[in-house]
Amino acid sequence: MDIYRFDKSQELFQRAAKVIPCGIYGHMSPAPLIPPTSYPFYAVRSKGSKFYDIDGNEFIDYMCAYGPMVLGYNHEKVDRAAAEQYGEANCVTAPSPVMVDLAEYLVDLIPGTDWAFFAKNGNDATIYALMAARAATGRKKIIMISGGYHGVSPWAQTPGHHGLIEEDYQNCIRIPWNDIAAFQKAVDENSGQIAGFIATPYHHPNFADNEFPKEGYWQTISEICKKEGIVLIADDVRCGFRLDMKGSSNYFGFTPDLICFCKAIGNGYPISALMGTEALKQVVSKIFYTGSYWFSAAPMAAALATLKELKKIDGPSIMHETGTKLLKGLEEIAKGHGYDLKTSGHPSMPYLRITDDESLMLHQDWCAECTRRGAYFTSHHNWFVSTAHTQEDLDRTFDIADDAFKALKEKYQK
Amino acid sequence: MSHELLTARLNAYAVLKNLEDLVVHDREMALFTKDWNIAIRFFVLNGPDAFVEFDSGKCRVGKGGGEKKSSVILFFHSPAHFNKMMDGKASPVPVKGFTKLRFLTKEFSVLTEKLEYYLKPNADLLADPKWVALNTRMTLTTAVWSIPELAELDPVANILSSHMGKGSISLGILPDGPKVNLTVNKDSIVPAKGEIKAPAAAMTMKDMTVANDFLNGRLDAFTAIATGDVSIRGQIPMVDTLSLMLDRIALYLS
Ligand SMILES: Cc1ncc(COP(=O)(O)O)c(C=O)c1O
Repeated sequence: MDIYRFDKSQELFQRAAKVIPCGIYGHMSPAPLIPPTSYPFYAVRSKGSKFYDIDGNEFIDYMCAYGPMVLGYNHEKVDRAAAEQYGEANCVTAPSPVMVDLAEYLVDLIPGTDWAFFAKNGNDATIYALMAARAATGRKKIIMISGGYHGVSPWAQTPGHHGLIEEDYQNCIRIPWNDIAAFQKAVDENSGQIAGFIATPYHHPNFADNEFPKEGYWQTISEICKKEGIVLIADDVRCGFRLDMKGSSNYFGFTPDLICFCKAIGNGYPISALMGTEALKQVVSKIFYTGSYWFSAAPMAAALATLKELKKIDGPSIMHETGTKLLKGLEEIAKGHGYDLKTSGHPSMPYLRITDDESLMLHQDWCAECTRRGAYFTSHHNWFVSTAHTQEDLDRTFDIADDAFKALKEKYQK
Repeated sequence: MSHELLTARLNAYAVLKNLEDLVVHDREMALFTKDWNIAIRFFVLNGPDAFVEFDSGKCRVGKGGGEKKSSVILFFHSPAHFNKMMDGKASPVPVKGFTKLRFLTKEFSVLTEKLEYYLKPNADLLADPKWVALNTRMTLTTAVWSIPELAELDPVANILSSHMGKGSISLGILPDGPKVNLTVNKDSIVPAKGEIKAPAAAMTMKDMTVANDFLNGRLDAFTAIATGDVSIRGQIPMVDTLSLMLDRIALYLS
């Protein structure tokens, strides 16, 4: 099997490092790819489930741009809808009618919601949700889950990171996932002070097994929130439209006051949304919140096309099925080589970990070996499956995984 | 927590620790100290309490009284007093070992001046590979021995350390540079020199120059890791947390 080289990626990165902080920053930084020298840094082309790097290597992409790609790269229907809208009007002095179409479509689609507000990034939606909770309750504090991610605003970052001050996280209380007692305790200890509870529909931290809510978790949390007047915020930025077209809260059987969407909503076109209940519409209307590009019409057209297509083909079922096959295949291959590959989370965005080495070094080596053979696997983050991944992709992925395990055995037996 | 107290703890437990390497890796100092047989105790009221022992060309620095009976006890009436002495701006009060005063003002101060020489960079020194090698080794030691103190007394490092997870982190410089490690237990963080078996996380720097730039904040971690100049493996959250904690050192030691 061919082992890829990344000379051009490294070369370009040297140039980048001179003029861009970190060379590549944020979640795309190569730093958590272990080792980064086994990964491509720059993509030049993409189509369907694949992308091609600057060195000419082809990858079956199991990161899907960290979530935005859901129907496949360069999806014809979505791109056409966006192109047509670009042809008409995109970022103009007034919004385009497609904004209303998209809001209506979403309100019809997502149970328990009566309005939709559009922005660009997931972060835009989570900040707005937090402001809404505070405006609605006149309270300061927010409960969130340790290891949860809601974007890069100072309140959402963990203490100790650069650029933060103490006051940024003073009003954020972090509790463990799936721990109703801890939630109740936080509420009791801060009686009348909790504005909102923000969490992802299921727990998908990095570097740790992902966890579904325990039976009755969301239902109990919802009851406590109702009783205490706490705004319940579902951060569906990552899971949204991968588990359930009606939102992941529908999947887990609860109705939040606010839901944040991004990533899969536009198949790569920049758009996010905050949706909420009638009761909060007046409240959010009073908050001044906007951005230069938040009214761009082409991403809205793309989002409408993405959602319609996902619904038509029942995207979540396809991803569930593909993800399930992928995981089953990989687990068996690992077992054949004497390794235990543990999978967790939803099959459409699974987290994997070889349990034979708690330090994760073995798992990191395997992911790197797979990537160097054309299946782009990260070791620290949940993966993503799209509706564009084919049986052929899976078969090729299995061959790669098998070869990578052989390489691993050789390395560790030496 | 007072700023002076943490600075004093870092000076006593992390900076003075470098005397151990100074008498091994600087030829002149190795010769100069080879026959020393003395134990000095630095006792700071409401602050750190450290020993520096010399025996047959070896130096040991640590917390408390050490193995040898102290021949000299130096008293400091506050952490600020001790920090001033470390900056060369104050003298200690000897409470034991008056006969050794000459040793302290003459010989021992030659050693501490040499230590200072290796810890304070300038453009000329940075061009000297020998200086860089020892400065890097000392920066690494200072870094690792600062961590337990920061975790206890710096409010941000304290929060960070509580989420660090358990296990050992190894840090090393290739091809044959120094290796140190930190073991994070439930209630303590223990630094040590040398290699450790099956660490939970590892950070390796390509060579002395890279390590020097990296440890002194002249090389951005994300960039250095991406190019492979610095490699990290294993439980990366531990390395991330460690790195954020190391960034706190500059607030106390300038
Ligand atoms: C659950 C969750 N919330 C919020 C965000 C932040 O979204 P963005 O990076 O688009 O601002 C992310 C991004 O990964 C996410 O996964």
